[in-house]
Amino acid sequence: MRDLVFIAFLAALFIAGLKRPFIFVLAYVYIDNVAPQRLTYFLLNTVPISQIFAGLAIGAWLLIDDKRHSRIAPRQIMLLILLIYCGITTSQADFPDSAWDKWDWVWKALAFAIFLPLTLRTKLRIEALALFMVLSAASIVIVGGIKTLGSGGGYGSLNLMVTNNTGLYESSIISCVAIAMIPLIRYLMKFGTIFPPDWRVTVFGYALIFACLLMPIGTEARTGLVCVALLAILALRFTKRRMLYLTSIAVIGLAAIPLMPASFTERMGSIKEYKGDASASTRIEVWKWTWDYVKDNPMGGGFDAYRSNEIRYNTIVREQNGSQVELKRVLIVDRARAYHSAYFEMLGEQGYFGLVLWLAIHFGGIWRMEVLFRRYRDRSADDGRWIGWLAQALQQSHLVYLVGSLFVGIAFQPFVYILVAMQIGLDTYARRRTAEAAWRPLGTNRLSPA
Amino acid sequence: MIDNFSLALSHGLMLLAAWRLMFRSDLDKEESPARHSDARGFGKNRQPDA
Repeated sequence: MRDLVFIAFLAALFIAGLKRPFIFVLAYVYIDNVAPQRLTYFLLNTVPISQIFAGLAIGAWLLIDDKRHSRIAPRQIMLLILLIYCGITTSQADFPDSAWDKWDWVWKALAFAIFLPLTLRTKLRIEALALFMVLSAASIVIVGGIKTLGSGGGYGSLNLMVTNNTGLYESSIISCVAIAMIPLIRYLMKFGTIFPPDWRVTVFGYALIFACLLMPIGTEARTGLVCVALLAILALRFTKRRMLYLTSIAVIGLAAIPLMPASFTERMGSIKEYKGDASASTRIEVWKWTWDYVKDNPMGGGFDAYRSNEIRYNTIVREQNGSQVELKRVLIVDRARAYHSAYFEMLGEQGYFGLVLWLAIHFGGIWRMEVLFRRYRDRSADDGRWIGWLAQALQQSHLVYLVGSLFVGIAFQPFVYILVAMQIGLDTYARRRTAEAAWRPLGTNRLSPA
Repeated sequence: MIDNFSLALSHGLMLLAAWRLMFRSDLDKEESPARHSDARGFGKNRQPDA
């Protein structure tokens, strides 16, 4: 039954795409995020829907779309270099089989991020992309939010419709992505034109933000809590009464603790006492290993190079002996531990050059969004103010990702590369708009410098 | 039940969005901002006057 509904949905998008080919791009974004083929048992999972819609999106752009204003931005070139470079490291990888497996989805994410900005020619297209990102992730977040309210969730036990822990359905990833989505939701609530602001948009928007905030609780992924804290700090920038804001955050936080499931508060409590926590200790050991590894292999070891690690570390275990509690050091040997950090993932797999390039792509985005925000934030509504506030939302989302990825190996998470592509599209759009606006006789409608 | 509710809500909204996009001509073409002020930037990125 569900199969048929998904097929009908995709067919509807296909038909809409025949009239407006940009909808093919939106459909691809949807498939990339939700992976409907994984939610069904037959039919859809035998058809390569992802490839079909990618083909339609690219084909429609090549054949029909207006390419007069297409510009290649510096970050698209950087993405292309990263793509080629990853191809080279994959061909020399320590573990060719698993490296090619990872390459198989990484190149698609990067190639799509290079292509996507070329299609983002109008304001409405940029908005539609943001809306589809939010709504497609919402299909997972709403499930997670309701189930967390009902049962309290649990690390690795919150059922997000699919059992295989991949893509956005992985608990650390969805809790980071859900928090990163909040600024975009807020932007759409305020500046949306497809669903213009009214009470329904407000109710849905706040309910969705609430569900996003529940994801770190439901999945008990500690990264999510760090992301929430970061978002709360970032919001300080736009808060007029800062003391009032900080006090209310503290009060809400304290009031929420008794409502949280006990397992959640215990797990979050382990953030500060990382020494007794195997997951945190292994991370630090893996990072040390990566640092040493890349000294010998400056180009990195290709995808999944972590498989060669073997780490030994002591962890502290509590032992209850009658009324006495004894703390014991226990030696643990671990093999093939994943990086648990996008930064070390890049360093270990792609070496120094890959890491620098990756940092330039991401922090370049943070910088460009700041430039756009300052340039447009005080404009009038019909003079591009939305550009400034979308830039601001994208910057916040990106910062949440960059902090979340300190503890999760999501250097190539496709969702984030769509975010990067949206930034590039917005930047190119603003640049073109400036060029067009500047092309007019001197002295007419001229504004004094801001 | 919860799964189906969430899927129906999010997919329904995406369909409605696609439907509305079909009738928006500004999806593919928009007016050039000829009457708007030019973006001039700040600091080093400040654009020269037109």
